[in-house]
Amino acid sequence: MDNPVLEKFRQSFLRKRLRLVLLSFALLLSGFVLYLDLTVRAQFEGKRWALPARVYARPLELYPGLKLRPEQLLTELAMLGYRDSGDSLDPGHYRHDQDRFTIATRPFAFWDGAQPALQLRADFDGDRLRTLADLKTGQPVTLARLDPLLIGGIYPAHNEDRVLVKLNEVPPLLVKGLIAVEDRKFYTHHGVDPRGVGRALVTTLRGAGVQGGSTLTQQLVKNFFLTPERTLRRKFTEMIMAQLLELHYSKDEILEAYANEIYLGQDGNRAIHGFGLASHFYFNRPLSQLDLPQAALLVGLVKGPSYYDPRRHPARALSRRNLVLQEMLQQQAITQQQYAAARATGLGVVEQAPGGTSLYPAFVELVHRQLRRDYHEEDLRSEGLQIFSSLDPLVQFAGERALTTRLTQLEKARRIPPNALEGAVVVSNAQNGEIQALVGGRNTRYEGFNRALDTERPVGSLIKPVIYLTALQRPDSYTLATLLDDSPLVWRERGAPDWEPHNYDKAFHGQVPLRLALANSYNVSSVRLGLSLGVRTVMDNVRRLGVERDLNTYASSLLGADGLSPLEVTQMYETIASGGFRVPLRAIREVLTAEGQPLQRYSLSIEQVIEPGPAYLITSALQGVVREGTADGLNKFLSPDIHVAGKTGTTNDLRDSWFAGYTGDRLAVVWIGRDDNQPINMTGAGGAMTVWGDMMARLDPEPLVPPRPDNVEMVSVDAVTGRRADDNCRGAVSLPFINGSAPVETAPCAASSPGPSIKNWFKRLFE
Amino acid sequence: MMRHSFPGLLFVVAVSIAGCAGLTTREPESLPVSDNSAVTALVSTARTELANGKLDAAAGSFERALRIEPRNPVLWQELAKLRLQQGQYQQAEGLAARSNGWAGDNKSLRAENWRIIGQARLKRGDYPGAQSAFDKAAQAN
Repeated sequence: MDNPVLEKFRQSFLRKRLRLVLLSFALLLSGFVLYLDLTVRAQFEGKRWALPARVYARPLELYPGLKLRPEQLLTELAMLGYRDSGDSLDPGHYRHDQDRFTIATRPFAFWDGAQPALQLRADFDGDRLRTLADLKTGQPVTLARLDPLLIGGIYPAHNEDRVLVKLNEVPPLLVKGLIAVEDRKFYTHHGVDPRGVGRALVTTLRGAGVQGGSTLTQQLVKNFFLTPERTLRRKFTEMIMAQLLELHYSKDEILEAYANEIYLGQDGNRAIHGFGLASHFYFNRPLSQLDLPQAALLVGLVKGPSYYDPRRHPARALSRRNLVLQEMLQQQAITQQQYAAARATGLGVVEQAPGGTSLYPAFVELVHRQLRRDYHEEDLRSEGLQIFSSLDPLVQFAGERALTTRLTQLEKARRIPPNALEGAVVVSNAQNGEIQALVGGRNTRYEGFNRALDTERPVGSLIKPVIYLTALQRPDSYTLATLLDDSPLVWRERGAPDWEPHNYDKAFHGQVPLRLALANSYNVSSVRLGLSLGVRTVMDNVRRLGVERDLNTYASSLLGADGLSPLEVTQMYETIASGGFRVPLRAIREVLTAEGQPLQRYSLSIEQVIEPGPAYLITSALQGVVREGTADGLNKFLSPDIHVAGKTGTTNDLRDSWFAGYTGDRLAVVWIGRDDNQPINMTGAGGAMTVWGDMMARLDPEPLVPPRPDNVEMVSVDAVTGRRADDNCRGAVSLPFINGSAPVETAPCAASSPGPSIKNWFKRLFE
Repeated sequence: MMRHSFPGLLFVVAVSIAGCAGLTTREPESLPVSDNSAVTALVSTARTELANGKLDAAAGSFERALRIEPRNPVLWQELAKLRLQQGQYQQAEGLAARSNGWAGDNKSLRAENWRIIGQARLKRGDYPGAQSAFDKAAQAN
């Protein structure tokens, strides 16, 4: 050990080793830095925030002659956040004086081009918009749209939501405030503030945890690249990355990224990121339009959006905002006057966050499902697509109101425990298949089980119109006046117990005209008719009308034993309502990219699947259901002049109550039942029909006057026998018949003159 | 089978040429589309878009007009013609039939719809169907 040569050798060996260690450490470190550098650059440059798809309602189209009540326009304007203002006519304001409106519309980029901000004068005459004119020039305006209501979004993972902004859209005062409060040396440091680091180091060494001293750049790095754990190693990485970021990018680029990344609030499970969205979320206005106190509040929120939440803790938020203002004054970012004026202002936060987590979650879910057929889920959640839907907020409002108020009333009236009843409503445009409203349950803001789409309940008598339609497609055998047999029936099928259908009134009705068997929803005659046509034939027609699932072909299927969702029922009736044309139900009109480029249009598509003649006859029969059948109670809600066509549906043991019906402009299907499938003791007429009537009465429906096809003639027949009648017959009714199918024999009341029937016989001979 | 349908085919081709002529020589502007100024404005937009080859935009404008006047047979027919031009024959036929439903006793409109249906069927290879449609067009006139 004392050997000096050996000792020297040892020392030199140690030195070499130390150098080697140091060298490899330096190598490792530079490797690490290089790795961080690559990460920072790749991620910052490739950084694309996941932007949710935004779903909009239909824009309200304004034009002279439009059927709209002034209070409906007021509702629309209120939903859109337009302010009733005495003087200001900035976009988003309006004035209202009885039948006269002055509206300053917001500019909006629609699918077919941008519409600039307009100042419009609209005059009403009763329930019509009489004139529309440009406020300044007085020139008539033929057509203008209000901006559409944002009704929800399809959010990325973690439910981050944001509205991207450019730095020049951020008010300079907000930037000044941010720098005054969060990072005074932002424009001079190189990503890390040495004094801040020193402070942070001291607190850390004192054992008070790793914290503080973060520059804006470090905060950005933390949010961008790192996990929220607080360790020394992470802090070290953060500091290196912050300096690398500063090395490659300008202060403005870093600031812009910060402005879009920062977390500023929470709306349910939706996280509010960036000043752009926060501005809408708290003040319902674009970022560029914020004033000083509002900008100061947003800056104040950076420290703790939950702790300083201006909606839940307004006092805390106010003192935090004032602190920001004070800092700004001290940094001479604002003058004493500005400070005094801003301090004296209230928070100015809107009570309800606009377009928050879906206003209409059930409808947005339908939109989402329809989009999934054409788009990747990931794109929907990240590409910022703009989805223009067909939802009509006014119709949706009527549907929600009618369902919730009626369910409560029905529970009281029928001694059902409160909140036991559930329901669903689907409303569509009877001509083009657009879904205008969809209610998935009585808790209309609940993003859970969507009964309109996913509940599958026996449809009961809602299936019957298809049996009758199938019969009416054979005019040689069946007309609206054909007598059906409603006497007792026993159905024997191998492998199944005998089946004896009964009528709801527990009686049999002998010979019944076809239209009345449907109007009164007689089970026995309907089953007998369906069996003679063939259950499979009837069910094929159900599919032809647009129900896509496989259907059973049991005899009981004729009484609607099989389950369908309210949406499927809507599709089936849509084809009937549109005169035999199958029109696929649509919830989406157009899809645009985040930049407003048209991507896709979902166009109207139709296919004639039922001849116009039988389609006309079945609508006529369904009008009879409302006029003189099981749905005659609708007359309490709507004038008989509307000539509603509809059908009630009731299932075994009164577990489900259905109503499907249409007017000249809308089709709606309502279901009521319990989630646990217990009996609700109400028929279709007692439950669902009242919701339907209540809703439609709020919507001023158009009368249903379908065009009579060429090959259909109106013929007077005796109401009881269904034979041809004349002026002598008192109980005669005028019914549509497909040419050549009207009864030839005259009724006893008209028997005195056999003339008409012979004339008719000759007429038919030569047709 | 072939022998049987050949003269029929010739006939159909002849009629369809006449039908084509009918489709192209007709002055669409001469049709009184609507007394609603919003609808006329949209139709005129759509026709400009058509002239500029923006077929999808034109379809969008016609559909927008149809939301205002769903019972206007001219609008349904315009859309039918557009689909025919796009080669969407089944749609063209359906839309023309829909137009017929609302056409009432407007004979020229009905004749035009039947011509569109005939054209569409012809393109889909349904010669007897096309023939019967052209027959109806002739009857309607």
